[in-house]
Amino acid sequence: MAVAALPVTDRFHEVLDRLSSKSIEDYYNPYLRFDWPDRLDENRMWMSPDLLTPYGTPHFDELGEETLIRLSKWESINFYSLNVHGIRELLLEVVARIHMPGFEVPSDFFHHFIGEENEHMWFFAEFCRRYGDKIYSSTAMRAGAGWEPEVENFLVFARVLFFEELVDHYNSRMARDDSLCDTIRQVNRIHHQDESRHIAFGRELVSLLFTRMCEVVDESRRAEVEAYLKRYVVYSINSLYNPHVYRDAGVPDPLALRNALLADERRRPIERTVIRKPLSFFRKTGIFTDDALPTV
Amino acid sequence: MSEGLEQVKQWILKRHPERTDIAPDTDLIDNRLIDSLSFVEFVFLLEQLSGRSIDMDTLEVDEIRTLAAIEEQFFKAEVH
Repeated sequence: MAVAALPVTDRFHEVLDRLSSKSIEDYYNPYLRFDWPDRLDENRMWMSPDLLTPYGTPHFDELGEETLIRLSKWESINFYSLNVHGIRELLLEVVARIHMPGFEVPSDFFHHFIGEENEHMWFFAEFCRRYGDKIYSSTAMRAGAGWEPEVENFLVFARVLFFEELVDHYNSRMARDDSLCDTIRQVNRIHHQDESRHIAFGRELVSLLFTRMCEVVDESRRAEVEAYLKRYVVYSINSLYNPHVYRDAGVPDPLALRNALLADERRRPIERTVIRKPLSFFRKTGIFTDDALPTV
Repeated sequence: MSEGLEQVKQWILKRHPERTDIAPDTDLIDNRLIDSLSFVEFVFLLEQLSGRSIDMDTLEVDEIRTLAAIEEQFFKAEVH
């Protein structure tokens, strides 16, 4: 399939040069970087309480402290599992595009990106297997959506960017939370540091791909793309409310809790805080024409 | 049609108001009645209605491609 080159700008070249240099300067060996204790304390929180899915609703108090501590363990394992699967899927997409027509300019940075993401996937998987003895299942269904190549290219990197920004909210919060143990803070801090480069790159690339897409599709197709991406935003948020996690935490009716929390309007402003930055980016660039989100 | 499968059908119809019915052999994926974003909600619903745990890592799309396949896979043992 013939895809025209990106409408690259001087700014894009400058950003790529700066980020590539930073990737080289900040390079570290993840396999030596972490101290992995044999076990983590099961009697303290593994995740900041305000990041837990029942936070802000009566369910938070009703679950009781012991269940909340168990929930913080399994919600953190779910969070790192989502990272593992999210990275696995984005690597497939980036590897499919590196050194292919249309991506000549960012291909060099893609090498840093792929290398760093592989290492992130390793330390998140390591955390899950060491301390949770499992990685939660992927919730992805692989099925072709039939988009034009320019739309598909835009959507792939828009999804990657949104996912990275969503995760980064959690990483930066937990890296700063001194009530959490050192291992948890370290995993989140290191990921947050690396992701700042990937987010800066992603914002530039997504803007260019959006410009490119708008040159070849009409208004009605753009509206379909916006509707799809908004559903993706809601889908990503909802993946945090995992009934398998609630079951592991000892909640008697896990799916009922998920449904109750998804239906609880008190959760919406909290979710908006989590996605404030990517939503603002999508609005500013015109990718979203308003900030209304669908209900699933 | 079992009660569980009827609830599955109603769940899909509620999300696609342009449709009034779904034939047992309608391809739910090709017709975009279930897509990659609604897939997970759908699997949780199937778990709840069938009372069976579903491993999403090993679930084949063909197992949920039509209402007939879903009945065969998840509701066959149910007493009508």
